[in-house]
Amino acid sequence: MGINVLHPGQSTVPKTEIWGKLAKMYNTTLDVIFVFGFRTYFSDGKTTGFGMIYNSLDYAKENELKHRLARHSLYEKKKTLRNQQKECKNRMKKVRGTAKSNVGVNEKVS
Amino acid sequence: MAAPGLLESDLPSAVTLLKNLQEQVMAVTAQVQSLTKKVQAGAYPTEKGLSFLEVKDQLLLMYLMDLTHLILDKASGGSLQGHDAVLRLVEIRTVLEKLRPLDQKLKYQIDKLVKTAVTGSLSENDPLRFKPHPSNMMSKLNSEDEEDEEAEDGQSEASGKKSVKGVSKKYVPPRLVPVHYDETEAEREKKRLERAKRRALSSSVIRELKEQYSDAPEEIRDARHPHVTHQSQEDQHRINYEESMMVRLSVSKKEKGRRKRANVMSSQLHSLTHFSDISALTGGTAHLDEDQNPAKKRKISKKGRKKKESVKANPSLKSLPLLHPEKPAEKQNSPSLTAKEMKIPQKLSAKLKSGDWWQLHI
Repeated sequence: MGINVLHPGQSTVPKTEIWGKLAKMYNTTLDVIFVFGFRTYFSDGKTTGFGMIYNSLDYAKENELKHRLARHSLYEKKKTLRNQQKECKNRMKKVRGTAKSNVGVNEKVS
Repeated sequence: MAAPGLLESDLPSAVTLLKNLQEQVMAVTAQVQSLTKKVQAGAYPTEKGLSFLEVKDQLLLMYLMDLTHLILDKASGGSLQGHDAVLRLVEIRTVLEKLRPLDQKLKYQIDKLVKTAVTGSLSENDPLRFKPHPSNMMSKLNSEDEEDEEAEDGQSEASGKKSVKGVSKKYVPPRLVPVHYDETEAEREKKRLERAKRRALSSSVIRELKEQYSDAPEEIRDARHPHVTHQSQEDQHRINYEESMMVRLSVSKKEKGRRKRANVMSSQLHSLTHFSDISALTGGTAHLDEDQNPAKKRKISKKGRKKKESVKANPSLKSLPLLHPEKPAEKQNSPSLTAKEMKIPQKLSAKLKSGDWWQLHI
């Protein structure tokens, strides 16, 4: 659904507040509400965005994008360091074929 | 005589026809008997139905009865001259004919009712589904007691309440038929000229002239800018796309620059001293506005960009005949509109053609 938020005289409303309001309007819990894409275009007081409300948390986990789940702390991204990823890639370049999958992330050069 | 010969040849066919008739009559009587039994048992209650249809039923039955009476009389050798049944038949027939337009008018309602009775719910395109639900207009934030159920809003808004994306419907791609492109260079030129003419007609110069010489009262309107610029159309297109696809598109630097420039242009006093080009009407050569896009290289054509919106590179420039150094200047005999088409008095058009527009006003 498209969401219009009117907030004259205030700064943009944070997403947590919008979750709360939507939960009250539609009689649901907070975890199945996902909002995104808020832009405050107009000079003062109006923000437009999108939102989705799922029927159950399982559906939400299946269908929602990972970064939005992360905002509800339902998903944690793996935090491999960038340097290490590049090292792993360079090690993979030295190997051919299926042996690439055996090259681990934290391998030390022997 | 030929008659006995004819009779003899007709006899076998007559016998077979009579036999067929007998079989069919037996079948029909069996059906009619079962129907009467059902009706007498009360299987077809019609008190709450349409009385119009009931009247039609009764009339048709009476017609049938009179018709069978006549057939009986004729088959047993009597004449139909002045028979009472004929008069009754004629009367019933006229009434049925008068009922027919009524039938036409009721057809839609009857069909809808029958469909609803058969399927058990309203069909998809039924306008009754889109009636307004004032309960949806109440604010749902007020208090816990006054909140409505969500069940109401299932029918009302056809667009956009995306609750569950998990319901998977098979994606059917749109069937687009490719059309052969056979626009010649001459046609393209003509189209370009047409467009330039139309744009020139709606420019401020011509509009003011029209106002000056027309008898209509002066209208002062607080309407949209008559020149819907390409930038504003692009913006509208972008907004429509974003809201329908529920995504946010990123704005590139070029796009930002274009937008800023368009805003700046419209807000400054640019329109006081810079007039749009009306060379399409006067037949002269085009002049390009120097301040319009200083950073852009003026090419005759630009490659199509792969964007979600279809962007044409600076169409106003493209449509004008460019004075490219290698290209010779265009001839003056490009077809320009006559004065009558422009609805401007004759001597004015001459002045326009000569290009002494300023001297008209001074």
